[in-house]
Amino acid sequence: MTRTNSLKLRALGAASALALSFTLPALAQAQEVLKIGVPTAMSGTYADLGNQAKRAIEFAIAEANAKGGVAGHKVEAKILDTEAKPDLARKQSERLALEGYKVLTGVIASGEALAIAPMLDRWDALYVATVTKSDKITGDSCVRRAFRVNHQDAQDAAVVKPWLAGRKEQKWAIIGMDGAWGRGSGAGFKEAATAHGKTVVAELYPPLGATDYAAYIQQIKASGAEGLWVALAGRDAVSFATQAHQFGLLANVFTAGVSFVTDNTVQAMGETAKGIHGIINYSSTLDTPENKSFAAAWAKHYNGDQPSNFEGETYLGMQVIFQAVEKAKSVKPIDIARAMSGGSFETILGKLAFRPEDNQLILPNYFGHVAEADGKLRPVVTMSFPAEQATPAPTGACKLQKL
Amino acid sequence: MANALLIQILNGLVYGGLLFIVSVGLVLIFGLRRVVNFAHGSLFMIGAYVGFSIATVAGFWAGLVGAAVVLAVAGALLDVTVFRPLRRQDPITTVLVTFGLLLILEDLAHTVWGKETRSLPLPEMLSGSVDILGEPFPAYRLLVIAVAAAVGIGLALWLRFSRVGLFVRASSVDPVTTAVQGVNTDRVSALVVAVGTALAGLSGTIAAPLLALSPSMGGSILIESFIVVVVGGLGSFSGALIAALAIGQIHNLGIIYVPWAATMIPFLLMVAVLVWRPTGFAGSHV
Repeated sequence: MTRTNSLKLRALGAASALALSFTLPALAQAQEVLKIGVPTAMSGTYADLGNQAKRAIEFAIAEANAKGGVAGHKVEAKILDTEAKPDLARKQSERLALEGYKVLTGVIASGEALAIAPMLDRWDALYVATVTKSDKITGDSCVRRAFRVNHQDAQDAAVVKPWLAGRKEQKWAIIGMDGAWGRGSGAGFKEAATAHGKTVVAELYPPLGATDYAAYIQQIKASGAEGLWVALAGRDAVSFATQAHQFGLLANVFTAGVSFVTDNTVQAMGETAKGIHGIINYSSTLDTPENKSFAAAWAKHYNGDQPSNFEGETYLGMQVIFQAVEKAKSVKPIDIARAMSGGSFETILGKLAFRPEDNQLILPNYFGHVAEADGKLRPVVTMSFPAEQATPAPTGACKLQKL
Repeated sequence: MANALLIQILNGLVYGGLLFIVSVGLVLIFGLRRVVNFAHGSLFMIGAYVGFSIATVAGFWAGLVGAAVVLAVAGALLDVTVFRPLRRQDPITTVLVTFGLLLILEDLAHTVWGKETRSLPLPEMLSGSVDILGEPFPAYRLLVIAVAAAVGIGLALWLRFSRVGLFVRASSVDPVTTAVQGVNTDRVSALVVAVGTALAGLSGTIAAPLLALSPSMGGSILIESFIVVVVGGLGSFSGALIAALAIGQIHNLGIIYVPWAATMIPFLLMVAVLVWRPTGFAGSHV
């Protein structure tokens, strides 16, 4: 080899090294993974809800990656069990954030969300609520990096009011889980009931994961209530309904609730659930083209299953996250948050926008009861409320810091 | 008012009865093996699922018996493969192993029966209600009381009057001397652990028509059973009976009269017992 050749070779080597050093970060940036952290209930009373969140997130990610990712970013998720316990949820979320899974979603209990929210700035993370309902999350405990795509208690109460106006029962009892959500829902229902001149004769708050509801059922019977509002979910909902049915409560007292008779709990309750009324936040039967194509794709992915209410809501959250990433052209939590704030997004429920005052998505809402449909018991929508009607004005309790 | 109180006392008896069947299993195992069995709640859950699976095919009563039999076999295996090899280890080792078993059993239930909540319908003949002083009371709840009473009486007779019962009582007081007297304590232990886990299975199936079935359903009842065992006196059969009945009543009456403290009272009782009478209501005798 001559000297000139060797020089040429060296020059070529140096040039390619230089070229590589320019292209590598560019490539890495294009391939930076969008990491979704899922601190959810994989065990305990809400395990069934956590499993629904997991299924929806995995479906959304499989769908996005099949299309080549979100704005070129491959999507990954990591799920950690929180048992629906606030202190564990905070620990697990911190672990996820430290490992780079900074876009958090799929949390089940409101108490968990309230434990996570104050830490988001410190972790440089983002939280998108898809199941948690407590008003506090987008109210007095709101933070700039937390957004909610599902209905808050106040939105549910806004549809309870017109529904309650048409009910003849005067005396009502309330039973809710002893936590931020159950007590919030109970308070919202009480306000709606008293606004219509009805009286609340019993308010009971059993602990999460209670075994025996006999003492509560007996008190509801003794109170002389004609109607009953239930804010129990997951395993609690099924245990309570089973025992209330055995005591003859459901046959004699008109029963309605929120997250109580859902697509999944009705399967476990069986005939017991028939005729129970309730808020329906999402149903796979909602007749929009976007929802229909989602339900069809879901059925194809999960052996003919229909997406449940919590699965639909969680998927909606993933749609919003993905579109915010596309808008932001970044997977940095702060950039995604900026793209979300006040933004509007194409979802399975149509084009929906975040309220800039408190990061709450403005959604339509539904009411219905459990009935036979296509040979199967399920919650069936009987009343629909458009987004404007289903959304009360912000209370002003939320003071968001600038992003 | 008096009627309502009577119904509440009956409800307390139902819950106390259920707690008794679960905790007496723990007591038996502790008495013989000196093992605090954390897996007991999971065995309760597995019992509920096994009962559920058999009941959907062969009816409720077959499920009830089947769950007890399957769990008895599992219990004998548990003794032979886990408790016996570990008996000379530090007790904390065995406790940790049973804790591991708890996690394994929950995962097993996830895999076999799935994560969705299920429920077992009431047996046809007990689906109605019985009038008690003009108040309808679910007939099935009376069965729970009856089964608890049968378990209590059966165990008492067995321990008091049978030869094996004598060996069990002797081994629980002093296993070494009992073995020296020619009793095969290993065989006695396997039998007792089998009976203890069979009771977990039985209680799981008994509770199944009242509760939603899910892999973590054993959690809260395990905690309450531990309270019963501590309050009653570790290893004491009669102590467990008294404590279970007391906690059943406290649980129900607490919800009505002091709802804000209802979940705390059993724990306060446990603390009080540990401070003033650490051996429990009945000391440490079977």
